[in-house]
This record gives sequence, C-alpha cells and structure tokens, in this order.
Amino acid sequence: MAEGECLGILGPNGAGKSTLLRMLATLLRPDAGALSVGGHALPERAGRARGLIGYMGHDPLLYLDLTAWQNLELFADLYGVPRPRERIADMLREVGLLPRAHDAVRTLSRGMAQRLGLARLLLHRPSLLLLDEPHASLDAPGAALLDRVLAEARGAQTVVLVTHDLERVLPIAGRVLVLRAGRAVLSAGTAGVDPAAFRAEYEALVA
Amino acid sequence: MKPSWVRQLRALLLKDLRLELRTRDTVAAMILFAVAAMVIFQFGFGTRDTDLTRFAGGLLWVTLALTAVLGVGRTYVAEREQRVLDGLLAAPVPRLVLLGAKALAIVAYLLVVEVIAVPLVGVFFIKDGPWLGDLPLIFLVCLLADVGIGILGTLFASLALFTRARELLLPVLFLPALVPVVIAASGATHAVAGVPNDMAEYRGYCLFLGAYAVVFALVAYATYEAVFDD
Repeated sequence: MAEGECLGILGPNGAGKSTLLRMLATLLRPDAGALSVGGHALPERAGRARGLIGYMGHDPLLYLDLTAWQNLELFADLYGVPRPRERIADMLREVGLLPRAHDAVRTLSRGMAQRLGLARLLLHRPSLLLLDEPHASLDAPGAALLDRVLAEARGAQTVVLVTHDLERVLPIAGRVLVLRAGRAVLSAGTAGVDPAAFRAEYEALVA
Repeated sequence: MKPSWVRQLRALLLKDLRLELRTRDTVAAMILFAVAAMVIFQFGFGTRDTDLTRFAGGLLWVTLALTAVLGVGRTYVAEREQRVLDGLLAAPVPRLVLLGAKALAIVAYLLVVEVIAVPLVGVFFIKDGPWLGDLPLIFLVCLLADVGIGILGTLFASLALFTRARELLLPVLFLPALVPVVIAASGATHAVAGVPNDMAEYRGYCLFLGAYAVVFALVAYATYEAVFDD
C-alpha cells in the first residue's frame, strides 16, 4: 500500500479479514508470505513497526476498572507520547469524554467506551490505522467522529479498514480488497464505481 | 519517538497496582488463604504446648508457595477477562518489560502477604525464639525468594495464558519448580528463627535464592519473545 492510502477489506465471515489485520498489527505470525509496515519486515522487526500502528479490534482494549484518564495515561507511556497530560486532555475533549475523565470505564456506556477506544487508537498519532469493523459498536456520535477521523486521515495516514458495510466503505476507501477463504479474489479502485454494480459483483464473488 | 522501557515498566506496574487497589481481588484472597493455611497447620500439628520451632520455616514457606500459586494464577485475569491483551501486545513494549512488570507486581503482592504471614508464624509456631530481632533477616529471605517466585511465576503464567487448561496447567508446572525455593527459603528462615542463629547457613541459602532468581531471569530473557509471539 502507498502511504496515505485507504484500503477497505471486504469478505464473508471466515474469509480471513480479521486474521490479515491481526497479522498487520503484529498479533499473529504469517505462515507464509512477506509483510512489512513502514519498511519494517514482520515479524522480525515488529518492535519497530508497532510504534507506527494504531489497532482497533472488536473490543475497545481498555481496562474496565481503571478510569478513562488512567487508561490513556497507560497507553501514552507505552507508546512514549510526548507531553502526555496535554495530549490525553485533548483526546478526551475530542471524543467528548473530558467530564468523565476520572470515571472507571466500567461505568461508561458501551458507546462511550468505544469512543474512548478511539481516543486510545489515535493517542500516539499512528501513521497506519488498522480498523476491524470500527463502526459496529460505536454510538451515533462515535460513528460521526470516526468518519471525521477517516476523512482527516485521507492522504495523511494509511488506513486499512475491515468491514461488511459496502455503502460505508466505498466513499472512504480508495481501493477495496475482497477476500474469500483466505485468498484475495478482487483488488480494485473505487473511483467512479457504481455502488449497485459493485454490490452485485461482490455478491457474485463471495457466493 | 522510541518509548523508554523504564517509563513502560513503571506504567505497567502502576496499572497492576491500581487495578489491585481498586478491585482488591488478588491480595485479599492470598492473605485469607495464607492465614487459613496456618490456622489449619496449627490445628493439624496439635496444641500450643507442642514446640514447632524447627518446622516454622517449612510451614511458612509451604504456605507462601501455595499462596504464590493462587496469586500467579490471577496474573493475567484482567487482561483476559477485559480483552486488553491485544492492546498491550500491539504496543511497542519489549516482551521482557511486560514480564518484568508482572513479576514485580507478584513480588509486591507476596510482600504484603508476608507482612502478615511472617509474624503469624512467630505467634503460632515459634516458642521462645529471638523472633522480633530477626524479622529483618527473614524479610530479606522473603524478598530474595519472592523475586525468584515472581520471575518464574510470570513466565509460567505467560506460557499458560495461551493454553486451554491454564487453571490446571499452571499449578502442575509451577509448584514443582518452586521446590528449590521452598527448601532454600525454609532453610534460611530456620537458620535465623532457631536459637542460636546459624549465619553461615543463612548466607548459603540466601546466595542460593539469589542464584535461583538470576537463573530464571536469564531463562525469561532467553524465552520471552517466543512465549508471546510464537
């Protein structure tokens, strides 16, 4: 992928979308083939690559018994974020959770926790965003925020977005990759694509 | 922007201590278990008229070894139940720092238990010993043993983390590996809990405990990447 590109990964359940994303996030080792992130080969130089990656899986990856602030403070320290207090306050303000900064995550609604997960994702200003069905558990403000983040990321951050949602991915992604049973069956640009025609082609591919 | 490992270690340790302070799950259970085990030993061995001084070190360390199994078994409970492990593993944290922070948390939990368990052993099992004066020497044994237990326990807990029968596997692996610690720590405790103190024996056992911690620190260093990444 080129820097600043947004790739949408589509496919039926079990196609290997999340597995591919977890390999890119250095959470799984590939059995074969070669992967690199920011020029760092995986898994050999995974330690270097990890600092460039922001990964958001199905869960917000937060400790429920720590406060929102303590969670972000932990990840700021793990990623070596400079001036962490200012950055944490900025991120909490961005996701609308500054008034709840000192509340345990357990006391937040699921949507709020997901927004906090978004703050965790962006805290260290990653140059590669790996998002696994990010809209699935976000509330309306969270989904709007994510759309804004993805719009701002265009050209500046590389994004890999796993989703089932064709309508949402086509306007965001510059290219889509369709997986079926662990193999890429289509890789195509989205410029000028008719959503209805693409849906028909997609359904034929994964049927 | 390369994060400092000292900052990461401090953050991970602080996180575990904060979680424990908030939930009070692990240490409270460890203290209750240790006290209950000693009360059972006290009843099992007879009345207070029986002089159990020569067994005190052994009773203390058998209790602490079993208590450590309890604590080590909960090492990754928060990460597993709250599904945070991916977040930690995707962060640019050297795996040795992850292990080190967990080991230090176990050492901290054990030290809290020992602050209660060690005097209790004196009350229950030691008759007329120069007990209070020797407390600093006994706590040095605790510290040395705890470092070894912490490193080994974290290593086994990390290995067991990715297995299905982890609750069974962990004690089966961990308890036999603790036998040298129990022998040496019991010997060192006995050497200073009895009358007169045997400082040569005490030093020998302490050296052994230090060597045990160093050996398992090296084993952890050699295997830490594979434990998490393979």
